[in-house]
Amino acid sequence: MSPEQTNLLQGTLDLLILKSLIAGEMHGLGASRRIQQITGGTFLVKPGSLFPALHRMEEEGWISSFWGDSENNRRAKYYRLTKAGRRQLEVETKRWGRITWAIAQALDAS
Amino acid sequence: MPLLVKARSFLRNLFLFRRVEADLDQEVHSHLEMLIEEKIRAGMPPEEARRAARIELGGVEQVKERVRDARVGAFFESLVQDLRFALRQMRRSPGFALTAVFTLALGIAANVIVFGVLQALVLRQLDLPHADRVMTLQPQEGGPFLSYPEMRDVRDDNTVFSAVAGVEIQEFGLEANGVTRHVWGYEVSGQYFEVVGIKPFLGRLLERADDDHPGASEAAVLSWSAWKSDFGADPNIVGTTVRIAKHRYTIVGVTPEGFYGTEKFAQIDIFVPMANEASLDGVNWLESRSHKDVFSIVRIKNEFTLPQAQAELKTIAARIARQYPKDEEGLAFKLARPGLIGDFIGGPARGFLAGVMGLAGIVLLAACANLGSLFAARTADRTREIAIRLAIGSSRWRILRQILVEAFVISIFGGTCACGLAWMALTGLAGWHPPSRFPFKFHVLPQPSLILMAFLISVLAGVLFGVMPLRQIFKTDPNDAIKSGGSQYSAGRRWALRDVLLAAQIALCCVTVTAAFVSLRGLGKALTMDLGFNPKNAVRTQFDLSRAGYSSDAAADHFQRQLLERVSEIPGVEAAGYANTTPLSFEQAGTAVFSQQSVDFRPSKKAFNTYFYEVSPGYLTASGTPLLAGRDVSFTDTAETPPVAIVNQEFARRLFHSEHAVGRYFKNRSGVSIQIVGIMADGKHFTLSEDPEAAAFFPISQVGDTRTSLIVRTRRDTADMVATIRDAVRDLDRAVPIQESGPWNSQLALSLFPSQVATVALGLFGAFGLLLSITGTFGLASYTVSKRLRELSIRVVLGAQAKQILYAALGRLLILLASGSVVGILLGVAASRLLSAIVYQATAQDPFVLGAVALTLLLTGSLSVAGPVRRVLDVDPANLLREQ
Repeated sequence: MSPEQTNLLQGTLDLLILKSLIAGEMHGLGASRRIQQITGGTFLVKPGSLFPALHRMEEEGWISSFWGDSENNRRAKYYRLTKAGRRQLEVETKRWGRITWAIAQALDAS
Repeated sequence: MPLLVKARSFLRNLFLFRRVEADLDQEVHSHLEMLIEEKIRAGMPPEEARRAARIELGGVEQVKERVRDARVGAFFESLVQDLRFALRQMRRSPGFALTAVFTLALGIAANVIVFGVLQALVLRQLDLPHADRVMTLQPQEGGPFLSYPEMRDVRDDNTVFSAVAGVEIQEFGLEANGVTRHVWGYEVSGQYFEVVGIKPFLGRLLERADDDHPGASEAAVLSWSAWKSDFGADPNIVGTTVRIAKHRYTIVGVTPEGFYGTEKFAQIDIFVPMANEASLDGVNWLESRSHKDVFSIVRIKNEFTLPQAQAELKTIAARIARQYPKDEEGLAFKLARPGLIGDFIGGPARGFLAGVMGLAGIVLLAACANLGSLFAARTADRTREIAIRLAIGSSRWRILRQILVEAFVISIFGGTCACGLAWMALTGLAGWHPPSRFPFKFHVLPQPSLILMAFLISVLAGVLFGVMPLRQIFKTDPNDAIKSGGSQYSAGRRWALRDVLLAAQIALCCVTVTAAFVSLRGLGKALTMDLGFNPKNAVRTQFDLSRAGYSSDAAADHFQRQLLERVSEIPGVEAAGYANTTPLSFEQAGTAVFSQQSVDFRPSKKAFNTYFYEVSPGYLTASGTPLLAGRDVSFTDTAETPPVAIVNQEFARRLFHSEHAVGRYFKNRSGVSIQIVGIMADGKHFTLSEDPEAAAFFPISQVGDTRTSLIVRTRRDTADMVATIRDAVRDLDRAVPIQESGPWNSQLALSLFPSQVATVALGLFGAFGLLLSITGTFGLASYTVSKRLRELSIRVVLGAQAKQILYAALGRLLILLASGSVVGILLGVAASRLLSAIVYQATAQDPFVLGAVALTLLLTGSLSVAGPVRRVLDVDPANLLREQ
């Protein structure tokens, strides 16, 4: 892990995966690369964390999966957001907003 | 709906396990392939790309395992794995599994059976509507019976009961369709069926009008079981005419199924109005305050509480006592749960069952301790495996859970077997008739609630012995365990939990063994004890002449004397005599004795109570009752001559403080002086366990009684003689219904019954306790030896003697055995005091009992350590040290 990469904060993985899927359906590797990209390479989600999260979120009903062909015509499992997933994304976004605001307040306090 | 999605996922994970797994496998592999392609595209050489991709992925299996852990129902799934593992373990060591299941099955079955009986006889109320309002009304002191006028006074004067009724249990000759059957019935007063509150299955039940006055009605009600078995479940039974004691009765109804009268262990066939008492029984006691023969049963009105009812009974009793000071002085009533001869045997029954329940609990505890130490030993053997599992990241909870699951599987198997055993035992008990003409029937049919009970006990037992290895698991340090080869928890220097468990188990088993020996010894004594008469080689024939139309005592007397003459002439008869009733039979009567100086004959002024019998000349010889002084009664003692009696030693001692009583006098409750003409030996009258009681024999020729028990002492085979006597009675009058005839010995079987039941029950527990202590000791001994074999061989090599080796190997075990046994025997001796109420002369201070217990334990101990000892002595150091 390069020094710029940071361990994921507790509870941020779900938010990041949901956010990465808002652009459209994606397989696991795609989601992982998308997160890397939108966080400017700060977060690298390893398969050991990614897949348990994807499966758990599918069981929660936030995302659904289907088998499709990848860019290189390889069979891959794709995930897409469900309605419940979009709602969850809003909830998580708000929650995250509150946390960053609170942390910023705490750090600004003298 | 997230919940629905979750539920669907759960079911999918559970049932489409293989597909879910294949899917996951494919997904992870395709991810790996894509990673590799990505790296190749970025310019890596294929080999390096493959390696980098694998590193990034972090292991296909590990990823899959983490996904599995995140799934819904992951807990459940691993539980299923534990279950499979537990079953596999059991298959791998079937000996252990079988022993464990068998031990538990016996332990649980004992508890379920005893609980079943306890529930049926004590805990459960009678099966009546609002049974909690139904109580039995009985005198505060003494037996459960009231006189009919007392019951009537309470019925007519109270405001708290919605109904009050009297019941008398009677045997009848029931003539129907040309056959006469001997049946047991209730004479019931008018409000009986209002008290029990049941609805008829057919027709109607008896009502107040049926019992208004003697002869008011000739209605009879059949019980469901009698209707079913004796009348072929005839749907047109209502209106049928039958004859009871030669009187015409009409069947007006049938009680519902499951109603068997208001006693919990009897099966009643027929119900008739009590007003017809005189015509059914031959004597009329409906107006007699001294004739206490009626069970009373009441229903408390809904708006009153039990204390309110009791308060009112107090005022009623005081009023009756004021009104009839001679008969009713000091009268007091109490209300009790009905069903156990009123509440007469309620105390002893509850006490005995609670005691047996306690023993059953002890046995189960011992079984759990046994299994617990086995489990602890097995866990100790697995220390290394557990350490490895902990080292590679398994949680201690997960390991404990797996052992708990194993314990549960065993206990559930055990519980299932126990259910089967208990079911068979209770069904057998429900269909069993004790040796008596009384219609005993134990309504203890297994209830479904017992399954729940068995399940709860199994779970409890499983937890009990499953958590034994808890400490071991939590104390296991993977580092140490792996370094030292997993031997630090084997029989080392410290006292381990399982040592304490073994001692406790031995102590518990000692209690059951002691109890068993005490009751065996008591039964042995009871079988050979002095009854005051000799039932061997004697035949007893019982009948009541009033049932055959002999209404006057004179007519009965004529018949009885004729019979005696005829019987005396039968070859092989040594002696013959008759009495109204005999000691240790059902019918025992008592009366108050007053000293010769008495002028006040209120019950409180009496000297004491005595059992009394009316006997013919020759009865003393025929029954084998020793006459110690004075003379036998004679036919010249008649109503016209002065009253006389033969009394026993206890009677004389109580009245005169000496046994020289011949020629002296006492008075009966009517103030009549009676001269004592003979002294006989003390004996047993009501139960075998009673203390010496006073008894008096009056000449039957002076008093007169239609009830007859003919005793014939014979040199011949008693079975032959029984038939001969029956014929003799029939020859004289065909209509005389013989109630009971047979060898006197076997008729007394019922007196021995409580001690036999106790002995069988306790003997079973004792044997089970022994079995447990053998398996427990053997298990621990052989375990200890196998663990220390290496150390022992080194000692042998260094020149230790056999004795030293034995002490080193099993010394501690012997200390455990000895201390456990001593504690157990002490506890057993303390507990045996409770037994003496049921089993005659049961005492643990008997050197024979203590010796037998000690010897048994010694034998068991040696038997169970014999194998391990041999193994120790046969140690071949060279071989052993090479192997390890």
